[in-house]
Amino acid sequence: MSMRSQPMVRVEKCEHKEALFTPEVRAEIDAWVAKYPERWQQSACMPALTIVQDMNGGHLTRELMDQVADYLDMPPISVYEVATFYSMYEHRPVGRHKICLCTNVSCMINGSDGILEHLSNRLGIGFGQVTSDGKFSLKEVECLAACGGAPMMQIGHNYYENLTPELVDQILDGLE
Amino acid sequence: MKTITNYIRSLFLFELLKGLSITGGYFFSRKFTLQYPEQKAPVSPRFRGLHALRRYPNGEERCIACKLCEAVCPALAITIEAEPREDGSRRTTRYDIDLFKCIYCGFCEESCPVDSIVETRIYEYHFENRGEQIMTKQMLLDIGDKYEEQLADDRAAQANVR
Amino acid sequence: MTEDQTFTIEVDGQQLEARPGQMLIEVTDAAGINVPRFCYHKHLSVAANCRMCLVEVEKAPKPLPACATPVMNGMKVFTRSPLAREAQKGTMEFLLINHPLDCPICDQGGECELQDVAMGYGGDISRFTERKRVVRDEDIGSLIATDMTRCIHCTRCVRFGGEIAGLRELGATGRGEHLRIGLYIEHAVASELSGNVIDLCPVGALTAKPSAYQARSWELSEYDGVAPHDGLGSNLHLHVRRNRLMRVVPRENEDVNQTWISDRDRFSYQGLYSDDRLQRPMLRENGKLREADWQEALMAAARALKDASGARIGALISPSATLEEHYLATRLLRALGSNNIDHRLRQGDFRGDAADPALPWLGQRIADFSNNQATLLVGSWLRKDQPMLNHRVRQSQIDGALVMAINPVAYDFNYELDVDIVCIPSAMTKELAGVAAALGVDTLGIEAVPDPAHHGIADSLKSAAQGTVLLGNAATMHPDFSLLRALASGIAAAAGVTLGFVGSGSNDCGAWMAGAVPHRDTGGKAIAPPGLDAAAMLEQPLDLYLTFGVEPEMDVAEPARMAAALGAAQLLAIGSHTSPWLLEHADILLPAAAYAETSGTFVNIEGNAQSFRGVAAPPGETRPGWKILRVLGNLVGLDGFDYAESTEVRDEVLAACADLAPDNRIGDLQDRKPKSAPGEWERVGGVPIYAVDALSRRAHALQLTPDAWGGELRLNTAAAAALDLGEAAAVRVAQGEGSAEFEVRIDDAVPDGCIWLPTAVPGSEALGAAFGPVAVEKA
Repeated sequence: MSMRSQPMVRVEKCEHKEALFTPEVRAEIDAWVAKYPERWQQSACMPALTIVQDMNGGHLTRELMDQVADYLDMPPISVYEVATFYSMYEHRPVGRHKICLCTNVSCMINGSDGILEHLSNRLGIGFGQVTSDGKFSLKEVECLAACGGAPMMQIGHNYYENLTPELVDQILDGLE
Repeated sequence: MKTITNYIRSLFLFELLKGLSITGGYFFSRKFTLQYPEQKAPVSPRFRGLHALRRYPNGEERCIACKLCEAVCPALAITIEAEPREDGSRRTTRYDIDLFKCIYCGFCEESCPVDSIVETRIYEYHFENRGEQIMTKQMLLDIGDKYEEQLADDRAAQANVR
Repeated sequence: MTEDQTFTIEVDGQQLEARPGQMLIEVTDAAGINVPRFCYHKHLSVAANCRMCLVEVEKAPKPLPACATPVMNGMKVFTRSPLAREAQKGTMEFLLINHPLDCPICDQGGECELQDVAMGYGGDISRFTERKRVVRDEDIGSLIATDMTRCIHCTRCVRFGGEIAGLRELGATGRGEHLRIGLYIEHAVASELSGNVIDLCPVGALTAKPSAYQARSWELSEYDGVAPHDGLGSNLHLHVRRNRLMRVVPRENEDVNQTWISDRDRFSYQGLYSDDRLQRPMLRENGKLREADWQEALMAAARALKDASGARIGALISPSATLEEHYLATRLLRALGSNNIDHRLRQGDFRGDAADPALPWLGQRIADFSNNQATLLVGSWLRKDQPMLNHRVRQSQIDGALVMAINPVAYDFNYELDVDIVCIPSAMTKELAGVAAALGVDTLGIEAVPDPAHHGIADSLKSAAQGTVLLGNAATMHPDFSLLRALASGIAAAAGVTLGFVGSGSNDCGAWMAGAVPHRDTGGKAIAPPGLDAAAMLEQPLDLYLTFGVEPEMDVAEPARMAAALGAAQLLAIGSHTSPWLLEHADILLPAAAYAETSGTFVNIEGNAQSFRGVAAPPGETRPGWKILRVLGNLVGLDGFDYAESTEVRDEVLAACADLAPDNRIGDLQDRKPKSAPGEWERVGGVPIYAVDALSRRAHALQLTPDAWGGELRLNTAAAAALDLGEAAAVRVAQGEGSAEFEVRIDDAVPDGCIWLPTAVPGSEALGAAFGPVAVEKA
């Protein structure tokens, strides 16, 4: 299939794009769209989803994905395909801080199991769950390319490496 | 010389006695005639008699209307019609076996992926009118229900060779 | 190296000719060398994701997928070498890991590509002992049954949606083990070509719902057939079990339908087995209809025909009747002294009859539509009326052609129209005259000032090396059809493109050839003075009407008036189905075999005669229509009516038409006054895709799709507000003497001041023509 949806596929053109999202979000997406050739706005699908997910407090809903499709002139199913393929898009509510713990080979050898046990004990949740106060959620991720500092985790946009239970406590205590 | 021997043999009814001795031997030996129908011969668990459709222990009919038995039947004795049942499962609405056509080869039983169509040990049946030789789905299921215990035992007995 | 140069490659030691740019699998397919595949399809893009077609190529370190490897000069390929076999076997093993072993309950069992390839390339034993995955099914409508656990992710259905149907509905969401094919948001698929994914699916994940579990592939006998619903005559394979048509699949014909067919052609067979099939001849006696035997019924029919005075007999023949039936009916009528015969039952305007071409047709070969550079649709919902022709137009547009339309509704197309003029029906002549004015041709006295859109259309048509102006079904039903046609003809001539007609049934060309029109006899010979056309038969009621394959309350231009005229006269109806109206009004009912039950010929809209045989048993005492007409001819004492085979009839017509070439030249139009005038409310008609004939109206599964039209009426938001109506409110429509109630559906595709209310839908029987002024009020 052609990489680009149009002209192969007819797309319902959205008439009122100014009604989608907020002006700030639209400006951010537009900045990404501008990086690609004309009529290739669908190339900005991934950054657009990330922007919209951040705006929505960390997860995507079907309505938001539909709005991204409308905004970028894509068939909705194409957006669903992207959003379900990549693991960084969430489809259920997450905590304010999404703790992404790597359990891949290097981290596992260096004791990520212990870190997981400590996190579970401290937060009372397992992978894929959210604490009752909505502050933390825990997610198992594959290698984040920081094997040199294994075991590691990612919270927000930050990497935390060479973790020990004490260091984890320190990090979590330091978060709002 | 030969003529004289033959003469003596026929004079003393030698052949007759020889024949009678065989009769006598059988007269006193153990009998293997069965007094059918009071007595019946033993039947193998692999006997191929009248057909039956089996059910699972929970009462659900086994047949899934795959039509392999219909396809494999060399005598074209089986007629099946199928459609989705209310719950969406694949079921027969008609399962007829024409016993005049059937040659009791057992291929239907062999081909069945769910052990639904089987041949029982029943070999005593008759028809009095044309048309009665068609075994319908309900008749086959009834036979299966009646003899399920034996059918299950027979399948278990030959499990190692099937 | 240019495209037409060829070179040689070696496959398994065989020397094969290849063109640059071809993929390896195209060359091996052409040579009959079998390479296993699941995701490759010649009319879809290459995905190379099933990996089944791996072959060994000399000097390549790893096996390469044949479907995605371009040929190169001197290439040496081994499809059965140990390396290739090992790769194929490995792929097969992976594909079978998650595939359930439910072949006995799978409808694909016996005709499954996975089964076949697994027999050739699979191992005997599975080494996989873990749990297999299970995927939840979605309900994707009444036509396609899903069992997504069986899916092997070849993505043919996904690519079909994007590339052929033009709508991305199915998609591949998730990844890895969690990848699944589905809609993500459950809904019924809306494409009119959706059934093709059933054929595309190499496994049993997508199967036909209407025939689910009813037949095994090995029980079915395959016969050739021709589709009976639109003028293309798509080629079909009819699958028959115990004399009953079980399902319909496409027969490949690159010139007509390629490898696809529309859902209407695929599933309409259900109508053959509806409860209201006419099974026995029926006669009216003392006001009551009773069953009769053939002898009695035919004698009664012959007596009625003989007793009526010739010129007082009229015949309405379905445009989807076979060539043989048209011809015999024509001969019968003419022999009885009547020229009152017509097949143009839905045509809205007959003023142009004198200017009619001898054999109107598409103007181009169907396949040539893909290469058009500009297409102007006039009054046509091509997508729903002739789905496979629309596919060609879509292909041309993907290749850069311009597609423009002048329509009474903003019809939903599966591509974007470059110019889309939507106007109230009475303004269509004016809009088209605008284009004519832009090209500087005669506007037939219609005042028109071309606006930029008109100039755009004119310039596009003019600059196209190959193009067409296509008059669609809505144009044919329009009360100013003759004007639209004359304008379109002028535009086409001035712009140097062809003029095309799409036809309203499956055999319009055949009807013209046979002479089933009042002003032309077999072979296109003009008749003077002409008989009465379909509309005139209404204006001047006759004593006896003969209808063939027609439901007068559905299949004609003005149902209410036609029904009244036919009801008042003596009615001899030959057809496959009964209806409450026929049971109440017909005097003699003769059951005729429907499509797939009778032999015959359809001449498709490009003038190609395609014959077929009867393959399914008609119900009851139904007889083929041509035989009924032949016996009627014998009974009224006509000479030369002793045909033993339908092929004799066909050969006779085709011989009579040997000099008749398809022709779209329009003569001069005498009456140039527009008939349509704007009213307070205008009705926009048309016939919905699944209401075109008795069969499709009775196909249950089709009637459950989103394309089926129930008792609804569409109007736009402004119109709804003006009438104080909300969604689903009841509205009363009065047209002529009849009126009926409908449910409101708000649809902004309808122009202001219009209601979109097709004919041949429930409730429309009581009303008049498809286009014209109506009174609308809140009920």
